[in-house]
Amino acid sequence: MERTGADIRFENATVTYPNGHAGLKGITLDIPAGQMVGVVGLSGAGKSTLVRTINGLVPLSAGSIAVGGHTLTGRGGTQLRGRELRELRSNVGMVFQSFNLAKRTTVINNVLMGRLYHSPAWRTLLGAWKNDDVELAMRALERVEIVGKAYEPAASLSGGQQQRVAIARALAQRPQVILADEPVASLDPPTSHVVMRDLARINAELGITVVVNLHFLDLARTYSERLIGMRAGEIVFDGTGAEADEAVFESIYGRSLTAEDVLEARAEL
Amino acid sequence: MSQAAAPSAPYMGQRPSKPRRGRPTAAAVVVLAAITVWAGLGVGVDLAAIGRNWQNAVVNTTQLLQPDYAFFPKTIPALLETLNMAVIATFIGSLLSVPLAFLASRATNPNAPLLGAVRFGMNLIRSVPDILYAAILVAVVGVGALSGIMALVLFNVGIIVKLVSEALDAEDLGAQEAALAAGATWTGANRSAMLPQILPSLASQVLYTFEINIRASTVIGLVGAGGLGILIDNVRSFFRYHELSLIILEILVMVLVLEALSSALRKRLV
Ligand SMILES: Nc1ncnc2c1ncn2[C@@H]1O[C@H](COP(=O)(O)OP(=O)(O)O)[C@@H](O)[C@H]1O
Ligand SMILES: [Mg+2]
Repeated sequence: MERTGADIRFENATVTYPNGHAGLKGITLDIPAGQMVGVVGLSGAGKSTLVRTINGLVPLSAGSIAVGGHTLTGRGGTQLRGRELRELRSNVGMVFQSFNLAKRTTVINNVLMGRLYHSPAWRTLLGAWKNDDVELAMRALERVEIVGKAYEPAASLSGGQQQRVAIARALAQRPQVILADEPVASLDPPTSHVVMRDLARINAELGITVVVNLHFLDLARTYSERLIGMRAGEIVFDGTGAEADEAVFESIYGRSLTAEDVLEARAEL
Repeated sequence: MSQAAAPSAPYMGQRPSKPRRGRPTAAAVVVLAAITVWAGLGVGVDLAAIGRNWQNAVVNTTQLLQPDYAFFPKTIPALLETLNMAVIATFIGSLLSVPLAFLASRATNPNAPLLGAVRFGMNLIRSVPDILYAAILVAVVGVGALSGIMALVLFNVGIIVKLVSEALDAEDLGAQEAALAAGATWTGANRSAMLPQILPSLASQVLYTFEINIRASTVIGLVGAGGLGILIDNVRSFFRYHELSLIILEILVMVLVLEALSSALRKRLV
């Protein structure tokens, strides 16, 4: 029943924010289906902008991004909108730093949000979900080993549990791509590893393409087969974790590596 | 750790001086007092009138202190009508208000022209007092409970939409963003991500509106819009102050009891 991942192809992708700030400076990047990519860089480097263009949360100013069978373009081209944009988004799950759950409703209701694209309006309005959708949501919760909490309010869960619910919500979409924007930045080190392992397992078992922004270099090296370093809206490194030596760190961070840049060192403090 | 914190340490360690607030407060009191005096002069408040009419006042007050309990059975239909009006208006008003509140909040309605139009309409609806709605509707629809219910519904929509759309404005938008990112429509995202978040404050608003309606439904009756108000108007125009006294007592008890119930419920909600 699961589908395989999708390619993501950036062509000169450019984002200029309304205030004139250049978020992405003509990125060209090819991510093959089923790859797990870690994106690292300083705060403000453009990591969030990069992943948020992939599902159209941030519109391109120029260039294009092809995801699966869809192409997002800048203002010059025919921008994806309406149902077509929503169809692209339904194939792309997203995990956020602050979990982005509706805290006052149940875990299962949160996971079912991953089925909204496929649910007719009347069912959505009445909250009358199809049995198939509930089944998909339950299976997604089983995959992140938190199905026992299905009928608890999301607010009653710990941070790590909430992030796993958010991953289940993305999985319930049966996506071809999962984007994660600093998914462990609000979690303690042991919980960070649990969440990263979940993402890596999903990538390995389901073949879903995963793009994950990480502030910490060591996490990115441990869990991703490919590392992309960003600085000031540009890609300054693209290779494996093993290739990322001290000189590469300097090119990404503009200085040598410090304890601030790795999770384990911070955990020891 | 200690090194990183070092530069800011002396600043955080110093006691700040107490911020001064005294003068603006005093100035505000003076301004408010001046406005009140000016307003009193404007409407020609005549304190002496109370002195001139005191005999009349004593007679009427004595009558008002002696309710005519035998009149009670005759007030029951009007009392029930008032309650019915309040319940029906609260129900219909709330149903209409939920979609309108989502259209009136910046957080849930991305369509700027529509947002502006809905907000403008809501401001208009809210700017008309309930008793005026009742007077107009009695003229258009006729004397009776229907006019009263319609007046209360308009009045309620104005209140609930304002308060609920403000609750939506203040709500965290993370879950809505996640739903939109999963391919949901705005309606779908608002229904599944925003509605559960504001449900407690919506329920509280509805109960509060019901409390207001109990009181308002007695007043709007005075212009013919059904319920106890019509009865009040009748007995008052025949100077039957013992009977008026009983009606006032009934309203007092009803409002106190229902308000106590409703606020007990509301406390458990939020
Ligand atoms: N909505 C926005 N409007 C203007 N500038 C923005 C906006 N969002 C992000 N930026 C700017 O774009 C740059 C990249 O931001 P972001 O992609 O969030 O970086 P990162 O996720 O790596 O911290 C930053 O300088 C940030 O200030
Ligand atoms: Mg970011």
